[in-house]
Amino acid sequence: MHNCVALSIVSQRQTVTKRDGENRRWELVAYQLCSTTERIGRFVLRGDKKMTNNNLNKLLAFCVLFCTQKTSIVHGAQALETKVSLLLHAEPENPKCFAEGMSDLTCFWEEDEERAGSADQYSFIYTYQNENSSECSVTALPAAGGKRLYFCRLSQTQLFVPLDIRVFRDDLLIHNRSLFIEVVFLLDPPANLTLTSTGTQGQLKASWLPPSLKYMGDSMMYEVSYAMAGSHIGKVEEVQASSELILRGLQSGTKYKVRIRVKLDGISYSGYWSAWTDPVLMETMPGDLDPLIVSLSLIISLVLTLLSLLVLMSHRRFLLKKIWPIIPTPESKFQGLFKVYDGDFQEWLGHSTGGLWLRPTYFYSEEFPAPLEVLSEVSLGPVLPSSALPPKASEALGEEEDEDKKLKRVDPALMEGWRETPQEHWPMDQLRAIHRHPAPWTQSSLLESHDAYVTLNAQNHSVEEPLDDILEETLPLQVLFASGRTSSESRSDLSSNVQQSSGSGRLSSQSSFEYPNHTWPSKGPGYTYMAVADSGVSMDYSPMSSNKIDDIGKGVIYTNEYKNEIPAHRRPIGSPIHFAF
Amino acid sequence: MSSISGLVAVLLTVLQWAGRGLPSPVRPICDPRVLDRFIMEARDTENALRGCKAGCGVTGTFVVPLTNVDFVVLETKDTEEQALEVQSGLFLFGQALGAVRESVSRAAVKSLIDNNKSNIHSLGQVLRSLHIKDLSLSPAPAVGDSATRKVSSLSELLRVHTNFLRGKVRLLLTNAPACQQNST
Repeated sequence: MHNCVALSIVSQRQTVTKRDGENRRWELVAYQLCSTTERIGRFVLRGDKKMTNNNLNKLLAFCVLFCTQKTSIVHGAQALETKVSLLLHAEPENPKCFAEGMSDLTCFWEEDEERAGSADQYSFIYTYQNENSSECSVTALPAAGGKRLYFCRLSQTQLFVPLDIRVFRDDLLIHNRSLFIEVVFLLDPPANLTLTSTGTQGQLKASWLPPSLKYMGDSMMYEVSYAMAGSHIGKVEEVQASSELILRGLQSGTKYKVRIRVKLDGISYSGYWSAWTDPVLMETMPGDLDPLIVSLSLIISLVLTLLSLLVLMSHRRFLLKKIWPIIPTPESKFQGLFKVYDGDFQEWLGHSTGGLWLRPTYFYSEEFPAPLEVLSEVSLGPVLPSSALPPKASEALGEEEDEDKKLKRVDPALMEGWRETPQEHWPMDQLRAIHRHPAPWTQSSLLESHDAYVTLNAQNHSVEEPLDDILEETLPLQVLFASGRTSSESRSDLSSNVQQSSGSGRLSSQSSFEYPNHTWPSKGPGYTYMAVADSGVSMDYSPMSSNKIDDIGKGVIYTNEYKNEIPAHRRPIGSPIHFAF
Repeated sequence: MSSISGLVAVLLTVLQWAGRGLPSPVRPICDPRVLDRFIMEARDTENALRGCKAGCGVTGTFVVPLTNVDFVVLETKDTEEQALEVQSGLFLFGQALGAVRESVSRAAVKSLIDNNKSNIHSLGQVLRSLHIKDLSLSPAPAVGDSATRKVSSLSELLRVHTNFLRGKVRLLLTNAPACQQNST
């Protein structure tokens, strides 16, 4: 019976939708069929023989009708339940009364199950001012927590006038209250809450349908609660007598959940806050780049670029060296060789002697400017007499004969240049001394695996110096060229206009050769000797490995280590002479 | 001298004639906040004088209108009938508050009562703006005793006054045809 009672209460509530009449009809039908169903059920239980298929069909029909309206009735019942729970918290007085529309009043009170009686035991007496009392029928409903609720509903009310309510239980007054009905409104939440975008960032427009109460439209007060989806912290905004609100200051591209509740403003009408609507979710417009952030990031990147540029500029030389290392060119040492003569060494030699010989440092420094030709072939023949050395050497050299003969020619200019060398150029003096006092050739002493050595023929100078003082590095030309080895590449490095004494030339190298017994071969006059050394780094001269020294013959094994050291007793030439190619 | 006095006389006549009040067309006052202010002031007065000892020295009975509003019944009434009720009620309140003002001695109470009296007068102006005849000044409205009752205390009087304003007067102003045309 309880379900039917609840349905009856709900059905008696004045609906606020536009389908008033229709709703009421359906609610009455629902109540009736509910009662009918119960009666039929009782018949069935009694086992009444009169129960026929006809009745069952009717029952089915009622059930079908009932189910179609079930949703609305259930919804109404849920709303009632919500309001009851709201008032139980909000209203301390008993009985708790609320008005939902313009002409209704629902009052209820709560009692414990143990002490509760049936609804018939209670009487609800209400009296308007200056009027006679009336009675309202009480209905009971079970509630959660072992409690029972007693309801009374008035369908026609007077506002703006005091109403006295008295509740009796078996003629015992249990509740007494005087109230104005227009101040106890508890409305349904607004319907159709929708969120739309306003077209502006960080904004949302909330719109809803106000409760359709006549005369009270401009007395409604709404509270809109909005929060980011998933967050519990939200904001609340109040709005009066309106059906829409623009929420501002929202984050872009974020989902927000919004809900609303309504209350009468309290000037003419007043009441309790309604229940919150179900939350509605909506995402705000995606945000454009915040101009402040864009500008700040631009400024920062500009500053960083400037800083990096400054650093680069201050260290540009270092960086250039690392990134773009200078390819060494011999241009600086051969002035005008590439620019003027396009690399034609012979021509350059012919035209640039003056400047060259005036710079003896070139001659003795590691960057040897003089054009030299490297003769790579040398055979260990017997020591030739000094005068015959050159031709012998040329024979030994084989295909280099022609060039050797050329080398025999002494360029007078060269000779002059040589004469002008200052006294410091002791190797020249030594050479001259040797020239005057040729020493027997010790062929075996001087071996050099694969270095190219060149001598320049100097003019005759009589220098009396012991041969021992001669540079160890100086080597006769023949010796320097290992047997059977053609250093064609070394020859090609130099132009052909190399003044060399092929046979008896003295060569100087900075290599650490050990030939203790070497004596300088004598050379005829007219040869210019020049100390030439290979730095050992330029592998062009030494295609063969340094290990092939054995076949050179008896003698001391020479390592291929070129040390840029000059013996202390000698005048320091400085760094070894090397060809700067 | 005679010309000046004659000129002054003419001026005074003209001013008096103008001041007599050819009613200028008044715009309808439909803003509910106007009445809301009156209601709030009446409520403040009622709250302030509720704790008044011995009724603030006010004795006697006052005739006040009924304030009850039944919406179902209201729907059946037209605007004129409602207007009549409102106007007679306002008249009665005006009378009662005038009598109260005479009997109170405290200046604070007097000022409050005066405020309410002026509000009632202003309401008459509002009704007039809505093309509702102002009968508050006219004697003996054509409403029977059934629409009135008697009160014997100041607090009761003020409470009825507040309820009257909140109920009937407000409904009349909300439903006034002049305001209905403006607000679509």
